[in-house]
Amino acid sequence: MLDGEILAERGPLMEFPNGITAETCFVVPISAEETAKQLKTWDATPHEALKVHAFQMLHNPCEPGDFQRLSFKSNQHSIRWLLERTKESTPDKSELNLSRSEARELAGCVDKNFDPTRIASCWSKLLFARAASFQRRRLAGILPYETTGETILPVMQLRAMLGEQLQVAHEFQPILQRIGLFGSTNGAVAPVPCYYWTMFDADHHATISLGAFYELAVDDHFQMVDVEYYVSGNYYTSATLYEIWPIRIGNKSGSLVWRDDFFAAPMLRFTKGTERLAYGAIMLQEIKKEIRYFQDDMKIKQ
Amino acid sequence: MKSNIGLVLAIAGLLAPLTAVAADNPMAISEELDAQYIYSGGGSTHGAGPHAGSISEHSADVKYVFSPQVTKDLLLRFGFEWQRFSFDVPGHIPVPDTLQQVSAVIGLDYQLGDQWLVRTELEPGMYSDFEDSNFRGFNAPLVLGVAYLANADLQWFFGLRVDLRSHNPVLPSPGVRWKFADEWTLNLVFPNPRLEYDVNDRFQVYLGANVESGTFVVGDRFGTDHGVPKLDHATVDYMAVRVGPGCLWKVRPNLTMEAGAGFMLQRRFDFFDQDMTIRNHDAPYLQIACHARF
Repeated sequence: MLDGEILAERGPLMEFPNGITAETCFVVPISAEETAKQLKTWDATPHEALKVHAFQMLHNPCEPGDFQRLSFKSNQHSIRWLLERTKESTPDKSELNLSRSEARELAGCVDKNFDPTRIASCWSKLLFARAASFQRRRLAGILPYETTGETILPVMQLRAMLGEQLQVAHEFQPILQRIGLFGSTNGAVAPVPCYYWTMFDADHHATISLGAFYELAVDDHFQMVDVEYYVSGNYYTSATLYEIWPIRIGNKSGSLVWRDDFFAAPMLRFTKGTERLAYGAIMLQEIKKEIRYFQDDMKIKQ
Repeated sequence: MKSNIGLVLAIAGLLAPLTAVAADNPMAISEELDAQYIYSGGGSTHGAGPHAGSISEHSADVKYVFSPQVTKDLLLRFGFEWQRFSFDVPGHIPVPDTLQQVSAVIGLDYQLGDQWLVRTELEPGMYSDFEDSNFRGFNAPLVLGVAYLANADLQWFFGLRVDLRSHNPVLPSPGVRWKFADEWTLNLVFPNPRLEYDVNDRFQVYLGANVESGTFVVGDRFGTDHGVPKLDHATVDYMAVRVGPGCLWKVRPNLTMEAGAGFMLQRRFDFFDQDMTIRNHDAPYLQIACHARF
């Protein structure tokens, strides 16, 4: 692992039909403090293979200007896909993850003006409202998805997955309890997260997500949780849990990272048997690819 | 052949307790149902004397597999397959009216390491014209497949069909699935290699080929009845190769309908142990299919 090898394992099959998990373990050649700091702010946009179109940290409280970089001006198939789905959305029906009120506001804002700049502006308003609500009310401020035929609460999807991975949930109990994702907060104050939005390709479809990165020092190591509390489509939500331990690599500081990915998507309900095995294997490849780029970027900072 | 039946029953008996483990989790049970019908029009016939006429064909195939996941990396496969080729044969051309497969499916899927998937499938059953071939029609071909999942857009495949009755007892088939652009996929996997274009998330058009094949035995009086006594209880390798465009509609996330049409390049009845081959060329075909996963 000191040479960069990534240990990886697909999680066990869950009863929760939309969920899949994976675990990875790897070494980063910088101190645990620095690894925690870099994970929160790492921008993957320079790495073309990761297909990240944009990444932006948000102010706290967030400002409308935080979303200025959102752009739909592209001939890329994936971005045209998101434009098309936005145009097709009505207050009652959409392939995108929206509440009814958001779908109504989005349709009203677009108002059959399919100019990409106009659509980006409408999306910016929607994302700003979502982010501001989350910053004010934390998990309680997350609106449900209501336009795909059933009501989906992203936080409930995450809790269902954690509920089936009790060993992992127990290990991360200190931070999960503090942020109210799993177990009672017992009045403890949640750490203030770093907020961000990002736009990337998921399954060849452009996807916008809003996320919050929490960090907590626990004894001699760090725990971190990256929660995607809003995802525009293709999947519902994800949470990535990190435990970062300080290690020595020769005379230098390094860190050992244990990463757990929880991912909820509607199509997983229909992805069973061999297809599920293949899906899990490919998911692991994608996670490992992202980790390799992170390790390479951190080598430069060494 | 008795040893084959014994082996199959022994494997099924050993694995039965494991399937009970899967029953606790509904997501651990998957089912596959694939159905297909093809009509091929009359094509010119060679190898059965002058003025042999043409042969048209109706073929149907239904395959159902029940697959419990018994460990994180192991799935069992149990099911059945029924395949029937019906030929409209003029005069005394020594071609059977019907060739049928009625078989069980017993196998497993296994994930090996991070990127390899392995499938083994044994299909013990009757492969004959269902006239008077009795238990001589019993056969148990074995299919082995390996997939290497390089990434989300590129997967390599290698398949091996082992059928000791066939003229080619071991038939290898390499393949690749490469999504080389957002809308385009080169899906070169036997028996349906295709170039696919995704019109949208639910509709796909393709240009491809379809290969149907199997090894069957004919009845004890098949040759005598067709004026070629040497073909009594003979073994025949059957193969049909078709090319053409088609389309695929994802009706629901787990239900796909498919339709295609095109040209049958060749249909071949190879009575290889009697040195007699009848070929049939150049006929149009229509195909419909349905694939369900639940």
